[in-house]
Amino acid sequence: MEAPQYVAARIQQAMAEDARTHELGIHVDVRGDQLFLRGQVSGNDQRVRLGEVAHEVAPDLKMHNEIKVVVVNEPGEDEHLD
Amino acid sequence: MSTLTEVRIAAVGDIHLGEDVRGEYRKRLEGIEERADVLMLAGDLTRHGTLEEGRVVADELRDLPVPVVAVLGNHDYHSDLQHEIAGELRDAGVMVLDDDGVVIECGGTKLGVVGGKGFGGGFAGKCASEFGEREIKDFVAHTRYIAESWKLALKETQADRRVVLSHYSPIKETLEGEPLEIYPFLGSYLLAEAVDTAGADLILHGHAHKGTEKGLTPGGIRVRNVALPVLGKAYAVYCLECGE
Repeated sequence: MEAPQYVAARIQQAMAEDARTHELGIHVDVRGDQLFLRGQVSGNDQRVRLGEVAHEVAPDLKMHNEIKVVVVNEPGEDEHLD
Repeated sequence: MSTLTEVRIAAVGDIHLGEDVRGEYRKRLEGIEERADVLMLAGDLTRHGTLEEGRVVADELRDLPVPVVAVLGNHDYHSDLQHEIAGELRDAGVMVLDDDGVVIECGGTKLGVVGGKGFGGGFAGKCASEFGEREIKDFVAHTRYIAESWKLALKETQADRRVVLSHYSPIKETLEGEPLEIYPFLGSYLLAEAVDTAGADLILHGHAHKGTEKGLTPGGIRVRNVALPVLGKAYAVYCLECGE
């Protein structure tokens, strides 16, 4: 059986290099037959695509897509640099 | 004409726009002229660096009521279309820096902005050097060339206040939260050293999504990581005092 660290590394590499995603900052954990994705992306479509790419690399793992979409709030308080 | 007592700089990086979010970021820029005098974008404007994404970014920024200055990031280089993307942005009125500088008039104050993408290599004591294989030497030489370009551009920029706009980080403080192992891919101290030598009032960068907003160069210049996930808002506003 392949070590989970190598599976996680292959998933991370696929998410960075696959033309559908090119996402670099996603944290991947493999625990037994469970796959966890964590991080932040700019839209829901990107979150879904990342899940698809990860699933293609490791179709036998049960995936938990915990990636969050960045919430862009209104600009807040200014900072005065004196 | 009245002279501003401070220049208000709106800044953000890593907006990573694509067709599926077209129009969304533009909504967040409504009313920016009430909050800021200029908008600065610290790279990674696209996801894959395609021309289509570059056009989405250009459309989001077109005809804003404040001047817009941008640098590109590593994502914007991915498809080898960085020059075409910069062209689309320039056609939309955005000033795109590529290891050079520009001076903007802000209500009687001359604001100089110098910068570009920047690059990696790591931080003093824990960094790559121009030694060994050609690939490593090329990696470090690229950063060194950029740092020298910025130093020269800063020295040539005649302005009341000077800001450096980068994608990669010049210091490690604003990377706190990122894994230590990837610091050499997130920035280089050579960038900070160049800016400390030539002088500036503020350095803005992105790239480190899990990093920290605030830091200082060894020479005491304020550094702000304005990556969108770090800010958690459409942009931050930094006010630089001007005048006597």
